[in-house]
Amino acid sequence: MSAPATLDIGALRKVFFPATANEVVALNGIDLEVPAGQFVSIIGSNGSGKSTLLNAVAGTFPVSAGKIVLDGRDVTRQAEHVRSRTIGRVFQDPRAGTAPSMTIEENLAISLLRSKRSSLRRGVTNRRRDVMRAQLARLHMGLEDRLKAGVNKLSGGQRQAMSLLMATIAEPSLLLLDEHTAALDPKVAATIMQLTAAIVAERGLTTLMVTHNMELALRYGDRLIMMHAGRVMLDLDAGQKAALEVGDLIEKFHEVAGEAFAVDRMLLE
Amino acid sequence: MQVIISNALEQGLIYCFMVLGVFLTFRVLDFPDLTVDGSLPLGAAVTGALIVGGHSPLLATAAGVGAGMCAGLVTGFLHLLLKSGESDSTNYGPKLLAGILTMTALYTVNLRVMGRSNIPLLGVETIFEKLGAFLSLTMVGWNLVLVLVALAIVVKYLLDWLLHTEFGLTLLATGDNEQMIRAMGTNTNFTRIVGLAIANGLVALTGSLVAQQQGFADVGMGIGTIVAGLAGVIMGEVIFGMRSISWVLFSVIGGSIVYRFLIAISLRLGIQPTDLKLLTAVLVVVALSIPTVRRKVVRL
Ligand SMILES: Nc1ncnc2c1ncn2[C@@H]1O[C@H](COP(=O)(O)OP(=O)(O)OP(=O)(O)O)[C@@H](O)[C@H]1O
Ligand SMILES: [Mg+2]
Repeated sequence: MSAPATLDIGALRKVFFPATANEVVALNGIDLEVPAGQFVSIIGSNGSGKSTLLNAVAGTFPVSAGKIVLDGRDVTRQAEHVRSRTIGRVFQDPRAGTAPSMTIEENLAISLLRSKRSSLRRGVTNRRRDVMRAQLARLHMGLEDRLKAGVNKLSGGQRQAMSLLMATIAEPSLLLLDEHTAALDPKVAATIMQLTAAIVAERGLTTLMVTHNMELALRYGDRLIMMHAGRVMLDLDAGQKAALEVGDLIEKFHEVAGEAFAVDRMLLE
Repeated sequence: MQVIISNALEQGLIYCFMVLGVFLTFRVLDFPDLTVDGSLPLGAAVTGALIVGGHSPLLATAAGVGAGMCAGLVTGFLHLLLKSGESDSTNYGPKLLAGILTMTALYTVNLRVMGRSNIPLLGVETIFEKLGAFLSLTMVGWNLVLVLVALAIVVKYLLDWLLHTEFGLTLLATGDNEQMIRAMGTNTNFTRIVGLAIANGLVALTGSLVAQQQGFADVGMGIGTIVAGLAGVIMGEVIFGMRSISWVLFSVIGGSIVYRFLIAISLRLGIQPTDLKLLTAVLVVVALSIPTVRRKVVRL
């Protein structure tokens, strides 16, 4: 269990397949300072580097240059599984966040173990079940009565709700959400988004949320960042954000991205 | 008839540890591990060499299991070397290659351990006599079956316990959703290697027991282990179901026994022992393709 952390990203670069014909500069010098407890929405065209930024922070791959400092500690070269002990993540694919052939309680037990070294003690205990039931109850999906059900029996929305719970149950110091409502139908997406906002607010989690939905980006979060071609092109604080409408945002986007935006699928939903 | 039944039961129970090992790699870790064709004779070779060298059969069996675990470790490390960086858990190439490399290397190791291609173990005291003496049983008739049942139950419960511990959950998740469990702070390179070591230890246990029961260790006795193991796993799952981990462990042991019964029956029907491997391979292909075929037929 750790308190919300500050995140400090300096001159971060990520080049895939460097020095080959396939070279891709996915992150081209990102500077980003996120104070503890801030909820940042990130938008940007396809391939602008949003997922790469989140993956770099999570340690999925080594970065090419630059620094990632989490809570004052330089984690740039820290192994993914070590960093993961304090970083919660939810992915776009609802199947990505849970182990399908394991039960609800086994999945949640795993998420309760984050940040601890797993021991040879029993994984699912009655004390942990109580915690799980209490947490599941707030999803209002009736999952608290189905602890022994296989996760592959759940709907996409239920699984994504589980993923969100699993990412936050052990109080991470940083929460990374990568289009985590994009694969859900609108009603379910709205539910998951409200749940996200509630959990983030309640725990005061430092959060980076990537979304393609400009309306979501405007409505949620205390700060909005627009990325393009591996750079941060626009950085709005809560006040500036509040003054904007989706239309203004699209205009801003045209300014920073030029015509690249014309072919982008990011247009309104 | 009784002899056939008790023989098939003995074989099924002796081989059930190997089948449990194959279950652990194929099903739990999602790692098709071909090391087993080498770690089964490794268990036999180490045990045989030690018994012939005058050591206690208990020590010899434990050493065989330990050697098998080391073989699993080697495969795990080779996999780390061969896989290209990131966690692409559905890339089976490096997994298969790691197992093939270890299996091939083990052929030499096994010959070195034994000093020749075959060690007879006739007239020596084996683990069965030791365990029998401990339980005040002589190893005649059904008593061997009883001893093996006891051993299988102990191993089954140990595995069951392990897979329900905190570590066990991370082991299950490593094969089920590696990205997720890494994001939860688990070093899947570690869990995978431990899993491979346990699985190959189980396979080597079977090798060690086979040598002591049939009275010799042979460098060629591992051929086809992986296919026989798969046959056992699949039959167990199909016949006895896979309600839960605890249940499926029993299913797999049951599958091993059913498979040895099928072999005994085939032999009774006059099928040549040398034809059994082809038959087993066909059996596995049929069982594995049933879902695919069914889907195709439904679509047509
Ligand atoms: N693992 C990878 N290997 C090679 N190239 C990659 C990899 N991941 C991303 N890229 C490339 O890096 C660039 C940025 O990709 P990224 O996934 O970060 O974009 P994104 O902003 O998340 O886009 P989207 O909105 O489509 O999700 C793209 O050109 C992509 O092809
Ligand atoms: Mg993306």
